[in-house]
Amino acid sequence: MRNLLLGTVALGLGFGFASANAADPVTLQLKWVTQAQFAGYYVAKDKGFYEEEGLDVTINPGGPDVAPPQVIAGGGADVVVDWMPSALATREKGVPLVNIAQPYKSSGMMLTCRKETGITKPEDFRGKTLGVWFGGNEYPFLSWMSHLGIPTDGSPEGVTVIKQGFNVDPLIQKQADCISTMTYNEYWQVIDAGIPAEELVVFKYEDEGMATLEDGLYVLESNLEDPAFVDKMARFVKASMKGWEWAKDNPDDAAMIVLENDETGAQTEKHQKRMMGEVGKLIEGSNGSLVEADYDRTVAILLAGGSDPVITKKPEGAFSHVVTEKAGIPTAQ
Amino acid sequence: MSAASYAEFGPARQGGLAARFLRSRFVAVTVIVLAIIALWYAGAFALNAPFQRELDARAELSPTFVEFVHSTWSQERPVLPAPHQVAQELWKTVFLTAPGSKRSLVYHGWVTLSSTLLGFALGTVLGILLAVAIVHVPSLDRSLMPWVVASQTIPILAIAPMVIVVLASVGLTGLLPKAIISTYLSFFPVTVGMVKGLRSPDPINLDLMRTYSASGAQTFWKLRWPSSVPFLFVSMRVAIAAALVGAIVGELPTGAVAGLGARLLSGSYYGQTVQIWSALIAASVLAAVLVGIIGVVQKIVLRRMGMAAA
Amino acid sequence: MSFLRSWQAILALVFIIVAVLAPVGNRGISGSLLETGPEALVAIVLMLVATAVAAFPGRTSFTDGAVVFVGAHAGAWQALALLPLVAGGGAGWGYWALVVAAWLLAWRLVTILSAAEPSSRLLALLLRVVVPLIFGAWLLFLWEVVVRGAGVPQVLLPAPSAIGARIAASTYLLWADFRQTFLKAVLIGYVVGCLAGFLVAIVADRVPFLKRGLLPVGNLVSALPIVGMAPIMVMWFGFDWPSKAAVVIIMTFFPMLVNTVAGLAASEAVHRDLMRTYGAGYWQTLVKLRLPAALPFIFNALKINTTLALIAAIVAEFFGTPTVGMGFRISTEIGRLATDMVWAEIAVAALAGSVFYGVMALIERAVTFWHPSFRSR
Repeated sequence: MRNLLLGTVALGLGFGFASANAADPVTLQLKWVTQAQFAGYYVAKDKGFYEEEGLDVTINPGGPDVAPPQVIAGGGADVVVDWMPSALATREKGVPLVNIAQPYKSSGMMLTCRKETGITKPEDFRGKTLGVWFGGNEYPFLSWMSHLGIPTDGSPEGVTVIKQGFNVDPLIQKQADCISTMTYNEYWQVIDAGIPAEELVVFKYEDEGMATLEDGLYVLESNLEDPAFVDKMARFVKASMKGWEWAKDNPDDAAMIVLENDETGAQTEKHQKRMMGEVGKLIEGSNGSLVEADYDRTVAILLAGGSDPVITKKPEGAFSHVVTEKAGIPTAQ
Repeated sequence: MSAASYAEFGPARQGGLAARFLRSRFVAVTVIVLAIIALWYAGAFALNAPFQRELDARAELSPTFVEFVHSTWSQERPVLPAPHQVAQELWKTVFLTAPGSKRSLVYHGWVTLSSTLLGFALGTVLGILLAVAIVHVPSLDRSLMPWVVASQTIPILAIAPMVIVVLASVGLTGLLPKAIISTYLSFFPVTVGMVKGLRSPDPINLDLMRTYSASGAQTFWKLRWPSSVPFLFVSMRVAIAAALVGAIVGELPTGAVAGLGARLLSGSYYGQTVQIWSALIAASVLAAVLVGIIGVVQKIVLRRMGMAAA
Repeated sequence: MSFLRSWQAILALVFIIVAVLAPVGNRGISGSLLETGPEALVAIVLMLVATAVAAFPGRTSFTDGAVVFVGAHAGAWQALALLPLVAGGGAGWGYWALVVAAWLLAWRLVTILSAAEPSSRLLALLLRVVVPLIFGAWLLFLWEVVVRGAGVPQVLLPAPSAIGARIAASTYLLWADFRQTFLKAVLIGYVVGCLAGFLVAIVADRVPFLKRGLLPVGNLVSALPIVGMAPIMVMWFGFDWPSKAAVVIIMTFFPMLVNTVAGLAASEAVHRDLMRTYGAGYWQTLVKLRLPAALPFIFNALKINTTLALIAAIVAEFFGTPTVGMGFRISTEIGRLATDMVWAEIAVAALAGSVFYGVMALIERAVTFWHPSFRSR
């Protein structure tokens, strides 16, 4: 069956190849909905950077029910955007994802709490209710709680964890004392909802030393054995990083490009411009190539998850510099 | 359906035009709707008040009671939007936005409607074929039917992502995967209804067909199929509502880019409760209209077949 | 020629021949079925005997059924035994031919069993249960064989053996989820929702004004998609099971209301006239005549509501919940790509829903035994 699936995908790609003026087709699956978090790719498409490299790129937005590893395992994408904890866990489950680029250097994840709950430092979490995303995003949180020695079973000495949906209502409706937010997205939704920054206390995962690598580009290991695929990905990464550079230098225009590509009509200019500004801070310092020290730090955090570690053994071959080297991006030592 | 119960327990009610108007359905529905709207306003006040008090305390305002009530009905992110807020949003997105634009509810409604109709058509055809097979092949009746029932206990929201991914991997994207989820939800009522309907002719009529030495196919087309038409229409009404739910559920795993389900989800994601409610009301109005259309078609067809009655 | 009418036997014979001649595996594991060991020869012989018996559609006695049963299951057993050899996408034409031949024999078996009409009631009841079970078991067999033989990725669709292993390993977790979702949200919501629908229907019957006004509005409200109501209920009632029970109440209210109203109108005019001649008041007529006559409709709603309630609770848990519950488990394990856990939860949900439906159907049978639909044809 897999041969049949791959054959059909290859046939489809072949037709695309034949019909699109010899431009190589690439399908990119995003981790979430169309927003400035992925501005670099939309900019590269809009500004013709992909076209210059001879690529015909289709960008598929994600969403709450879309798991990028599932999509790539099913042959629905050539390359996906995913976070490293989820990708490493998937690798252990038998889908061999390999990191080929890492545009995001820093983590934007944080816990936002209401000041009136009296929380001033992580130790104060005991006995409180914390909102956590699941679906692959709970790994940094679980590692952090395990590191602090705080059980997550709802006991008075531990924290009560609730699965928050993808909005900030639990904090606003006071159903949770703290919620998980991204510096570029949900935090600003809380501010927009009318709660001023003075009434909030934030704990950034970067400051707590629990930051794991976020948005990176991943492909299936078997595809990296094909030199034509490596070359295609190298061109894709080169054009994408050019797009990210442009987005960082022109945040407002990048936000408008993202808005134009938003099919739901739900995004607002104000939110996207702000998001682009914050995302710019997270990609600072990365030239697209994965820094091995960052990778080791992420793996160490995930392995130390106490009784329920995210991954059970050190991954082998989970990242590769072959694509970034082919794209001419120097590997940091 | 037999006559309303009330009529037998009181003196005959005649009366002039005014009295009959007051007893009409139109007045009853209007009064109920007005009562619901009044309850809705009260509920909006009650649920939005705590956050409003917080907002006022922060801005150091002390409004009068009337002003306070008024502001609970005009919050930007209300817990329960007031009816006029929802109506305004509906008006804006349906009539004041170009139907081709991505912000128009008409556009999203059409996306959902197209997969609903396709899924409903496929589901009805599948349901009829299954029912014919179950009625005519005894082994299928004993073995397949319990599993058809069990299939409906599987929460579709859980396997919809898997279905979408598998179909995408064989190159089927866009309308068809969502329609397949609609088909999954809508074939069951049609199957159950048609099985009942195909078995509904009186045994005496089946015997009559035997005395005419009618073949299986002739019995089917001349007796079983016409008797099952009323059951078919009743099931189709349930099926089309189920197909709409399936289309909405199917939009979520496809990235939630377009359609009423996507609108619901993006409203929930950004905390735009007014958007959620306007998408909800648009969805239920759409469902009611579709069910109504089937009801009208049912009346026409049954009248032409000479079965118009209850 | 009567034996030509059993096309399943003809096809089965063709496939058995292919199974013997064609290679079992498709990469490196060349060699035919018979070379894998003596059990293969036994299985082929049993299947050939069964095919011979199945070729005559007139042969439907108990021994014939037993022969076909043995033949079909010998083929299935052999296919399962060969799975480790061909797992991961290595199955060749010979293997698939064996599977298809066994499946055709099983189909013939089901046909024989469905046509059987044993004289004892106990045996008939047993057959009614066994036939769907055989069908279901063969569905699982085909699923296992296709997933493992064709190498379908585990993250897309896990094999039933993996799901079974997961159920065995996580029974405590599954029970905790079941308790949270079913025993709290579903049962409480179901009882409250059905009771509310019933009472409102009685009130609407007593006050016709309400009936005229409420039903059309109710039709509109019942069309609200539950996927939209769930986040709103979470916003209003919090994260724990009350919000899920609220969603269940909304979902079960309207089918119960509509069916009770239809049921209350179902009593025949002649019976109502009889009650009038007895001088019975409204409530006496209601309790002694109209409610019993309405029971078939009420049970129709109760049966529909069993599955609706379960689905409503599970879907509601997708939108914000404490870290226990069937919907919670499904939505988070999908994100972790632990599809075997997802399907384990789905299996528990399907079992719970079917048992709930079955219990309601049994109660219906006991209470409304007089209704024509229970007469055997």
